[in-house]
Formats: sequence, C-alpha cells, structure tokens
Amino acid sequence: MAEHTVKAFTEELDALTQEVARMGGLAEAAVNDSLAAVVRRDTELAQLVMQRDARIDAAQREVEKRAIKLFALRQPMASDLRVVLTAWRIAGELERVGDLAKNIAKRALVLNQSEPIQLIRSVDRMGKIAGDHLKQVLDAYANKDVQSAISVWNNDDNIDAHYNSLFRELLTYMIEDPRTISSCAHLLFIAKNIERIGDHGTNIAEYIHFLVTGEEIATQRPRAEAETGD
Amino acid sequence: MEQFSAAGAERGQMPASMMTTPTVKSSAGSLVSAATKVSARDVNVFYGDKQALFDVSLDIPDRSVTAFIGPSGCGKTTFLRCINRMNDTIDGCRVQGTLQIEGKDAYAKNVDPVVLRTRVGMVFQKPNPFPKSIYENVAYGPRIHNMAKSKADMDVIVEKSLRRAGLWEEVKDRLAQPGTGLSGGQQQRLVIARTVAVNPDVILMDEPCSALDPIATAKIEELIDEMRENYCIIIVTHSMAQAARVSQKTAFFHMGKLVETGPTEEIFTNPRDSRTQDYITGRFG
Repeated sequence: MAEHTVKAFTEELDALTQEVARMGGLAEAAVNDSLAAVVRRDTELAQLVMQRDARIDAAQREVEKRAIKLFALRQPMASDLRVVLTAWRIAGELERVGDLAKNIAKRALVLNQSEPIQLIRSVDRMGKIAGDHLKQVLDAYANKDVQSAISVWNNDDNIDAHYNSLFRELLTYMIEDPRTISSCAHLLFIAKNIERIGDHGTNIAEYIHFLVTGEEIATQRPRAEAETGD
Repeated sequence: MEQFSAAGAERGQMPASMMTTPTVKSSAGSLVSAATKVSARDVNVFYGDKQALFDVSLDIPDRSVTAFIGPSGCGKTTFLRCINRMNDTIDGCRVQGTLQIEGKDAYAKNVDPVVLRTRVGMVFQKPNPFPKSIYENVAYGPRIHNMAKSKADMDVIVEKSLRRAGLWEEVKDRLAQPGTGLSGGQQQRLVIARTVAVNPDVILMDEPCSALDPIATAKIEELIDEMRENYCIIIVTHSMAQAARVSQKTAFFHMGKLVETGPTEEIFTNPRDSRTQDYITGRFG
C-alpha cells in the first residue's frame, strides 16, 4: 500500500505495529520459558518469567498510548483504523497471555517442591503446540497473512483435544495415587492456562482476519468436544 | 413534482443563460424506489469538449444525508449542480443522461428550472445573504413564489424557517437588521433558513462549513442532523471527518467517475475500492 501523503502518519502506524510485534515476542518467550521452567524444574527461570511480566504490561501501556495518540491526532480511517484497532486488541490478548505464562511459572515453583510427575511430558507437548500456534499467529500478524491466521484459528481444536486427553489422564493418576493430587491439580491448572493461551491465539487470528479483510470471521470455530465441564 | 411544469419560465426572472436546455436523454420511466428521492442514470457532463462526469449512476435516499467526497476536480460539485440544473447557467455545459427527482425527469422540456430550484434548494460554500434585513432574506423566496397570502402568513413562514435553521432565538429581536451583520455561522444558518422557506424537498450543500470556525461548523452539522428528518440533504465536503459525522450514505468521486457508494459507516471502515481507500486514508497524490 502507498505511503500517506503525511509520511509521519505511516511512520507512526508502522511504529505501533512494531511495538505489538515486540510485545508478541515478549509474550512468546514468557510462554516458552514458563513451560521450560515446569519441564526442567527450573525455579530460577520461573522467577525470571514472573519478573519479566512487568515488561509485557509496560508494552501494552505503550501500545495503548500510541493508539490513543493516533486516534486523537490522525483520526485513522478504513485500513488505518483497523491497524490501530487491531494493535489495541492484540495487545490486550498478549497481556493476558503474559499473565497466563506468569501463572504457569508460579505453579512451577510449587511443583518443583514435590516429586516429579510423568505427565509433565503431556503438558510439555500441549504447551509446544500452543507456543507454535502463538508464534505462527504473530508471524501472520507481522506479514498480514490471513491464510496462516485462519490455519491457526482452525487448528485450536488440537489444543482443546490435548487438554481433554490430559484431563482424563490426570484424573486417572489422582485416583491411582492420591498422594499426587496436589501436583496433579497444579498440572491441571497449567494445562488450563495453556488451553487459554491457545484461545488467545485464535482471538488474535480473528483480529488479523479483520485487519486484512475488514470483516469478522463469520463461521463458528471448530472445537474439540468438551469433557471437562468448561 | 408536478410543480416543475409550472409556467415559471415565462416570468422572466432568470437570466437567459439559465434557460438553456441542456442535451438530456429523456427518461423512459421512473427509476426510483419508494425511498429514493434523486436518481441518476448514466449522467455525463461536458464543459465544451472537456468531459467532467462519466456515466454517473446513483440513487440518493430521502430523509437522509448523502455526502459526496473526492479530490478537487473530481466532479462532485458538477454532479451536485446537475441536480438543481445550476449547470444550465454555464455556457457550453452539456448534461446527458437521466436525472429524476421523485421519479420525474428534472431535465424534461416542460420543467421550469426556476420552479425546480424551489424544490431543490442550495447552500453554497460562503454564506451569501442578500443585502437586506434578516426578515427579508427569508421572506424573499416565499414572496416571489406567492406562498404567503398576507403579512401574517409571511411572519409565520419566516419564524418557522428561522426556527428550522436553529436561528430564531438568536435573531427574533432584530429581524429588521441587515443579514450581512450576522456572524459567518449565523449567516450560513440564515441562508439555510432562506432555503427551507420555500419548502424544498432536496437541499444541496456545497462545502457549507468550509468558511466557518469549529463551533459554527458544529452548529451547522447539528442542524443538518435535525433537518434530515424532513429533507433529502446532499452535501459536498472536503472534510472526511465531516462526511463521516453527518452523512448516512457516501459517494466517492474520482476523475469524473463515481468510484464507490455505500453506507457511510462501510465507506469509512472498509471501502471496497483501493482508490476510495487511498483517498480517505490520505494516500492520494
């Protein structure tokens, strides 16, 4: 697309998009590190994730500040309006992703004080899928690649299916050995956090669709059959 | 619209150039739907050899505001002036195509442009009150069209028109003072009062706020919003924000062509044509 006649407008929109991309990088790292802290039982890394969440929050405030300035001073319209709105909305999703990663890190601290559980590998697999989806959707945002975004949107049921499977496994584990109930409950919450990260990824995919096409995704997203009472 | 065929042309009130009948293809029948006030089909306008409008087809709804936007020289004012045949006044201007108001051909041979212009009023960029009193500015139109049987009738028309233009409370105690003594915003509302005094169906506004400050502009915009309940209003504006604020339908012109038209909300959030997109986001030029 051609540049604005007022070049500073183009620069400000680009800067806003770049700030969201930078925030996406922080959120992606937080998710990966929090899962690594669980899998590797790395207390130091878990604490680092918790500390770094403030950076994600600050990035969201920066995005909002830039968006407000653009609304007030440039009155963006059409595709420009969608760029600003989408940045605002994605920043909100990423802030929540950061919070969920922080929650995972907090539970890692607790889990590290108990005996290791084999099911952590299932959580790791689920986490990697969610992390990959987040990466793919953030790349789709940077490249305005609506097809890639739709692919993420369509595949979230994969994460949901993993969550349902893990839920059943954890129930079985707890029934077999009640001494693991505490750790399994923490793992269940971690799995739920990962599932929510996947949902935020699909929300971002929807915003990318709106950004590029100007229209909301009309159809219902495919979902794995819920077995967990959610 | 039967009034179009009144014998106004015989009154000799218009300069000869305004009586020129442009080349117009006669319409085969009504093009309009119930909610459409103005309907244009394949309208082409030429200034001498130069073509200014190319095959413009557009339906303009009643009781709503339609905005014409586009860069300078795109033809939006030319098209606006077709609607009340103001282009008739320009030597060498030819209008081809079909333009109907309420299903009646505005360019039919029996249509008197003077009468047409009582049905299709116009407000210009700069306020242009007559060098007369506030009262006489508003009473002028109704008087020449014999709309008031008595002074009392005229008083009612003047008050009603000034109220509709949101000016009555500000001028009711100084109706005998010159209209030219009012502020710019008040003068523009006086012109609007003058326009509505002859009870038009359609009001054309050609950049009505471009000479006004933001407060006066806001008052005119508020007035436009109130008036759309009773009139078909068409506004030409260079302000994207104004078009977005006041109109329900927007038409984008570029290089003499109607590029895109649709609900204002859609045009300003998700235009279909890349030229519209480039214009409203400031990427043209």
